[in-house]
Amino acid sequence: MKAIRQFFENQRRHFEGNAPLARLEPFYEAMERVFFGTGQVTGQAPHARDSLTVQRYMMLVIVMLLPCLFFGMYNVGLQSFKAAGQPLDFWPMMVFGAKIVLPLVIISYLFGFGWEIVFSAIRKHPISEGVFVTAMLFPLTLPPSTPWWQAALGISFGVVLGKEVFGGTGRNFLNPALTGRAFLYFAYPIQMSGDAVWTAVYNHGAQAVDAVTAATPLALATTAPASQTVEQTLAAAGYDFSTLFLGFYPDSIGASSALLCLIGAVVLMIIGVASYRIILGDIIGVLALGYVLNLFAGEGSAPYLGMNPFYHLIIGGTAFGIAFMTTDPVSAPDTHAARWIYGFFIGALTVLIRVFNPAFPEGIMLAILFMNVFAPVLDHLVIRLRIRKRIPNI
Amino acid sequence: MQKLTMKKGYRFRMAGAPADELVVLPAPARVAVLPERIPHIKPRLLVKKGDQVQIGSPLFEDKRNPRLRFLSPGGGTIHDISFGPRRVVQAIVIDRKENPEPETRFQAVTESQLAQIDRQALVDRILDGGMWWAFRELPFRDLPAPDGEPPFILVSLNAKEPFQPSPAVYLKDHEQLLAYGLKALNVLAPGRVRVFADASESSVIEKAGQWLTHVVSGNYPCDDPATVLYRIKSDASQNRAWFVAGQDLLALAHLLREGRYPIRRVVAVAGSAAPDRRHCQIRLGAPLSQLVDDARLRGGERFVVGGLFRGYSSDSDGYVGFYETAVNVVPEGGDPEFLALFNPGVSRPSYSRTFLSRLNPKALVYNCNMHGDLRACIACMHCADVCPVDLLPQMIYKSILAEEVEEYLELGLLDCVECGLCSYVCPSKIELSRTFIATKAAYAKEQAVKPD
Ligand code: SF4
Ligand code: SF4
Repeated sequence: MKAIRQFFENQRRHFEGNAPLARLEPFYEAMERVFFGTGQVTGQAPHARDSLTVQRYMMLVIVMLLPCLFFGMYNVGLQSFKAAGQPLDFWPMMVFGAKIVLPLVIISYLFGFGWEIVFSAIRKHPISEGVFVTAMLFPLTLPPSTPWWQAALGISFGVVLGKEVFGGTGRNFLNPALTGRAFLYFAYPIQMSGDAVWTAVYNHGAQAVDAVTAATPLALATTAPASQTVEQTLAAAGYDFSTLFLGFYPDSIGASSALLCLIGAVVLMIIGVASYRIILGDIIGVLALGYVLNLFAGEGSAPYLGMNPFYHLIIGGTAFGIAFMTTDPVSAPDTHAARWIYGFFIGALTVLIRVFNPAFPEGIMLAILFMNVFAPVLDHLVIRLRIRKRIPNI
Repeated sequence: MQKLTMKKGYRFRMAGAPADELVVLPAPARVAVLPERIPHIKPRLLVKKGDQVQIGSPLFEDKRNPRLRFLSPGGGTIHDISFGPRRVVQAIVIDRKENPEPETRFQAVTESQLAQIDRQALVDRILDGGMWWAFRELPFRDLPAPDGEPPFILVSLNAKEPFQPSPAVYLKDHEQLLAYGLKALNVLAPGRVRVFADASESSVIEKAGQWLTHVVSGNYPCDDPATVLYRIKSDASQNRAWFVAGQDLLALAHLLREGRYPIRRVVAVAGSAAPDRRHCQIRLGAPLSQLVDDARLRGGERFVVGGLFRGYSSDSDGYVGFYETAVNVVPEGGDPEFLALFNPGVSRPSYSRTFLSRLNPKALVYNCNMHGDLRACIACMHCADVCPVDLLPQMIYKSILAEEVEEYLELGLLDCVECGLCSYVCPSKIELSRTFIATKAAYAKEQAVKPD
């Protein structure tokens, strides 16, 4: 510990005053905070301050994302091996998955954190630890076949145009990770959709093994034949409820396991890092709209209408989005009532987009970004109501 | 007696509470008055260094209203008058003379006289006796205008802030004085006096229950007059209520009943780093050195005069201010903690649920470390969840920065009870409450210049 302290003390002079690296002081501070708490004390009342820091807040989210990351590595390997007809041994699959996933994560961190440093130096604001969460969220939403340059481009777009152009963390109204993801989706529709992208190509020696990529559950649900229910179609493709719930199907890297997202959401709600209002609002929204659509299902209608609403929660990115994306407090509304409404609309819109707009099989991404834009309006309405209830004091 | 239950605020388990024993300390060689610590006033000195004064001689008056005079808590010689930046009068220090200590006498008001005295006569007695400072007016906590008609006079017996004297200790054997004081308040605001204590103070409720109008239960600052007012007011005309702290009421009653300037005070000496934690009866304006034995400190402590959330820090050679009734000694905590980020935090105090201390039933040590750096607001909403009067501190802060006066007033800035909890809980370490207090004070000044 002494040695690390010493190291930081020695390096500090390069970042202070007129030293050449003075502009990178925020970077120094961010790195020092990984190892040491602050030595600052309060100047005035209140003399004591809470032990919670922004760093810890963000770290806890990252910790809850790690299971999704590791599962993602495994699942990427699993789906590729399955497609290539390889023996399904744990370690080879894990290593294969890691080789696909880790570079994307590293690229995301390099570029995300890099932009944050650049902007903190130009704008002279501290590094915002939120970028560490953004840089972890982003690669987990990508298809495993994403080229590295696209990952770099996407995270850069997310951090710079999703956040920094608005003035940095706290002023941005869009979720930066999703902004980057949506940018890739619209800029490179070919590489970002279709059945093939969700399974990484397994190379054996020099030549690629002829792979039979499986369709994603979302694609199957949209195209289910009218003679069958969606559940039957999915089950026929090997996706029964528990497979879907556990996440063993081709999807974006870290988003497939509803179970891990559920665990993450529950833990984050218990420790108060994620708003339970948003999460429950989301779930209620999905289920409510799912049931409403069930009412319209019948002879001749698309079988998607009649799908068990719980399936919406476990296929595709809904669970991941609910647990980790909708709960980003900065892009969500602030007031409690507005958070319920925000959640509900995200859930409802997700289902609507999925069922009625086959061009966008994944509804939650657009639903969240759309509601991000409306978050300030919801807040404004709720605050007007609150003010009307207060006895004025002016 | 009405019950008020408040859900918000902060329930802390803090180490360093004072014991219930009361130690009577001998009169110190020097006492002081700290004009700087009386909010809003503009002191004009009436004495100079070397002057002879008595207990109860005027030391300074408020330029804004010369009827508001502040009297000497000691008899003897003015030893020193110290000034801060921009000639702010910091302290007037008096060297006491013993046997006998010279003292000014005032006309006493007996119980039977009190029953008939008219309002104006009583106001004059209080002004002459220099005890008008016992009253403060919400929302600015300034001294009220003497001829004003308060919608309520709120008397808070408790102070749930860590750590303030227990009313059971300072009220002991003074129940009659309390009753007398309340009668006096009733002359000023007939039928509009509200007296409250915390539900946990069973012995006080037992002994003084007949005079209580409300029993409050909840967390700090549920027993603050402004919090109670927020709950009991029915329209905007009641915003300018007056309040009196429990001990200040006893002092006021003492002046009127005995005709002598009150110089007795009970202070809590507390905090996890204080060598002796107890209640002390001291002279008004006593030096801190009399309360805390410097030689028994380990070094690296902070002296907070008043509670931890509202008090001011002071050197160990400072004095206790007029309004302050506590001295808390807490660790400064200036050493960066190794791997603080990953500490599971079994003994880290936090309002949030992100530390294991949540499950630890022990009382925890609070220090003065910032526990983090200034960051942009992350909209965690802890500040709104903790605020006892349902404000949205992060919104108010933003509108203060944008100078949207209408907006922050509408959002209820003036309801803020200045409890400091929003600043305490903020993970981004934004100085919310300090900004609110400063903005309120600036607004009060503006209002005073152009009365409408
Ligand atoms: S705004 Fe802050 S200081 Fe004011 S009452 Fe609310 S929590 Fe207390
Ligand atoms: S506690 Fe601080 S970070 Fe959280 S919402 Fe309030 S001002 Fe923002």
